[in-house]
Amino acid sequence: MRRLLAALLLTAAGICAPAAAGTTPAAGWGVEQLMQSLAQVKSARGKFVERKYLAILNAPLEFSGVLVYTAPGRLEKHILLPHPESLVLEQDRLTMENKARNQRRTLVLQDYPVIWAFVESIRSTLAGDLQTLSRFYRIGLEGSDDQWRLLLAPSEPKMQAMVREIRISGSKNRIRTIEILEAEGDRSVMTITEEAL
Amino acid sequence: MASRRALGAWLAFVLACVLVISRTEFSTDLSAFLPRSPSPAQQVLVDQLRDGVVSRLILIGIEGGTPEALAVTSKRLAAQLRGQESFVSVNNGEDGGSAKDRDWLWRNRYLLSPAVNADHFSSAALRAALEENLRLLGSPAGMLLQRVLPSDPSGELLRLVEQFEGQARPDLQHGVWMSKDGTRALLVAQTMAPGYDIDAQERAIHLIRSTFSQAAEATGRAGQKLLLTGPGVFSVSSRASIKGDALYFSVIATSLVAALLLLLYRSLRVLLLGLLPVASGALAGVAAVSLGFGSVHGITLGFGATLIGEGVDYAIYLFTRITPGTPAHKTLDRIWPTLRLGVLTSICGFSAMLLSGFPGLAQLGLFSIAGLIVAVAVTRHVLPALLPAGFSVQTVPALVAGVSAAVRQAPVLRHSLMLVVALAVVFLVAQPGPLWSDDLASLSPIPISDQRSDEQMRRDIGAPDVRHLLVVNAKDQETVLQASEQIGEILERLSKQRVLGGFESPATYLPSLASQRAGQAALPAPQTLRENLQQALQGLPFRPGLFEPFLRDVAAAREQSLLDRSSLQGTGLALKLDSLLVKRGEGWAAMLPLRGVTDPAAITREIARLPGKQAVLLDLKRESEHLYRTYRTEIVNYSLLGAAVIVVLLFGSLRSPRRVFDVLAPLAAAVIVTSSVLVLSGTQLSIFHLVGLLLVVAVGSNYSLFFDRQTASAQDRERTLVSLLFANISTVIGFGVLAFSKVPVLHAIGSSVGIGAILSLAFSAILITRAQDEVGEGR
Repeated sequence: MRRLLAALLLTAAGICAPAAAGTTPAAGWGVEQLMQSLAQVKSARGKFVERKYLAILNAPLEFSGVLVYTAPGRLEKHILLPHPESLVLEQDRLTMENKARNQRRTLVLQDYPVIWAFVESIRSTLAGDLQTLSRFYRIGLEGSDDQWRLLLAPSEPKMQAMVREIRISGSKNRIRTIEILEAEGDRSVMTITEEAL
Repeated sequence: MASRRALGAWLAFVLACVLVISRTEFSTDLSAFLPRSPSPAQQVLVDQLRDGVVSRLILIGIEGGTPEALAVTSKRLAAQLRGQESFVSVNNGEDGGSAKDRDWLWRNRYLLSPAVNADHFSSAALRAALEENLRLLGSPAGMLLQRVLPSDPSGELLRLVEQFEGQARPDLQHGVWMSKDGTRALLVAQTMAPGYDIDAQERAIHLIRSTFSQAAEATGRAGQKLLLTGPGVFSVSSRASIKGDALYFSVIATSLVAALLLLLYRSLRVLLLGLLPVASGALAGVAAVSLGFGSVHGITLGFGATLIGEGVDYAIYLFTRITPGTPAHKTLDRIWPTLRLGVLTSICGFSAMLLSGFPGLAQLGLFSIAGLIVAVAVTRHVLPALLPAGFSVQTVPALVAGVSAAVRQAPVLRHSLMLVVALAVVFLVAQPGPLWSDDLASLSPIPISDQRSDEQMRRDIGAPDVRHLLVVNAKDQETVLQASEQIGEILERLSKQRVLGGFESPATYLPSLASQRAGQAALPAPQTLRENLQQALQGLPFRPGLFEPFLRDVAAAREQSLLDRSSLQGTGLALKLDSLLVKRGEGWAAMLPLRGVTDPAAITREIARLPGKQAVLLDLKRESEHLYRTYRTEIVNYSLLGAAVIVVLLFGSLRSPRRVFDVLAPLAAAVIVTSSVLVLSGTQLSIFHLVGLLLVVAVGSNYSLFFDRQTASAQDRERTLVSLLFANISTVIGFGVLAFSKVPVLHAIGSSVGIGAILSLAFSAILITRAQDEVGEGR
């Protein structure tokens, strides 16, 4: 019994750890301010490299391409390598298109709550939409305006079963990396380098 | 002696009627107002409305609160109803139902997948599928894919789920179905009992209501409101309202007419005598309908009020016209030709209803005709024997003087009336939209407001507004499923050519045994599959041993027993299958609802190429409009025929074109002005109004005939006027009360005859008095 209690306490401490260990945000600067500053960006474009470390594979998958964001709700992810494929998120629809295979599929996000929660972590952050973001995640923030890290923990049990945490880091109103920690240990890291428009 | 025989015959007749009625079954079945002899394809739909899955659905809405609060009540209500035996399923968008469905699809994916063939698990095909999976792992769906990948690398589940995509689905908010604006939570319950079992439907509805009030109370949300709609709900509520209306309106009409007669006769005995013909007529009417149709519809009883209004007229004519010192039968002999002619014209009017294609309307016609004949026969042969010797009605002198003065003044309005009629004609002709509703729904006995709220809920819940439907008929279930599969292939091809957007088929949920067997035979033996997979995995980064579950599942599917209807039991898919695959009499029918059809002719052409298949493409909107137009044409024809017979009768009796014109002119004016008044009040005219207008002619001719008749003396003329006035008021009461009914057929006929009867009398006074004066001067 005592050991079980200890284990629980340890786990609890583990969960609290990042917030405690990270630098507390500077006074007068917080999630609201960060979101406001992100909301200023009306459009952005960047190159990305994404690596996925999956338990079912014995080598990471690597994808690279271009991300295009147009405020408030449109996000395009054009994968160029290894296979060209594009994903376009517009309002409540996600369209996946593969021109080489002449395939096109549109999902209505509310039919796929997990995918919805997942795409909102990026889109709502880009849009500075705190309200939508809080609907799906408990939000933590560390660092400062120059070097911040947003910690998003899913609040829906179904999403929790898939994703443990999403960490988005950046500087000022620019996003640099998006790290996704899946519940069963899989992990993916996307690094974005901004292009001049 | 003769009068004794008449009395004896009457008593025997009444007894016989009571005997028949005591064995009569009374129904409130809404299908009386469905077409009587639809085409075989339409019959499928009518059957579905009677006892198909469609008829078992109850749509539930919860309103009045924040979306969160509505969602809480929705979840609680659904959870409690799911435990009840009355319901096969209760869906509110929570995962409960669909998780079972997904699980079923998952377990049976290799038998259900249309893609499984001999080549499907070759090493080349597996290689392509695995490369595709690597690509998909990079997409947002990748996270979901990882879980199923080890068991389903060829993506059968995804393929199955894709078939269901494009089907309309309600919005989800807070985990339950919600209208787009978030003001109404939505649930769909399927009852165990078929839609025509009104008692069982009533119990189910009661259960929903009581469970809801408990659920709303428990969550402290007393402000929430429950809305129910669906075929069963309509049957139950219209039974209640028909029952209520029939009783309520008969009682009101009887009391009002009784009060009127009491005012006129000031004698309880005369009042009872006056009601005798009506009571006998009503008994005869119900007995006639019972014998002619096997059962009596509740709406027919509601129509009884009109009989009270009209049948009592005959006694009024008789009683009021008896002058002191003249025996009753003498008076009767004098007024009989006019009375008889009036009854005959009324019968012509009701005949149009009797002959129509609606069992419901035909019942009303038979009821009225039998009732009127008996009422007038009792007035003619029984009443004189019962009247006290020296009977005479004391009319109120002031009233008589007033009525006479008004009638003398009436012709002043002649020019104004002609202007009004001219304006009404112009108004009717100038109407921008169609005067007549082309919608079959206008014939439904369900109140319009209920139809609207049903439409709204259906839209919210995304129940497809089925317009194009392919119906496949065959002798057994297997044949019908095989035919559906063949047609499915054609539709698949046509939807690539954008001839249609998509379709549903029962074979999606339950493939034919033949195609299940073919699929099972195409699954490779375990060792072969393992070798193919090994080859396909060469150089790909999948962890070794990852696909063991896949090998296991395919091996199991090879041994699995084939699926039939019962294997779907307990899933939401069973509900779907039952609505698409139905047993009909000797054979089976499959229904394939089509979406986004752009070229129906192309589909018909392609389907026709299949050898010996009984597939028909139905355009439901067109069919129902066609059906309605057929009925309208039929009713218009019968009405014209009825009107023509009335004119012939008048010619035969009056023997003067001029007098026939004089009698008909006020009636024509009344019909025109009544139609204008109805249209002005925002009514879209239906077949029922048309019947009402014919009745205006039939009933109104009673007044114009009496006006037209030469009278013996000034005193007799005054008595005639008073009798007409009271007969008119009683008719207006009889039909007028029906105008307050919520049952569309009663409301339409009641309001048109109510207005038309008053106008007929007034217009007769205005137009015919002058004619007679002229005749008088000419002499």
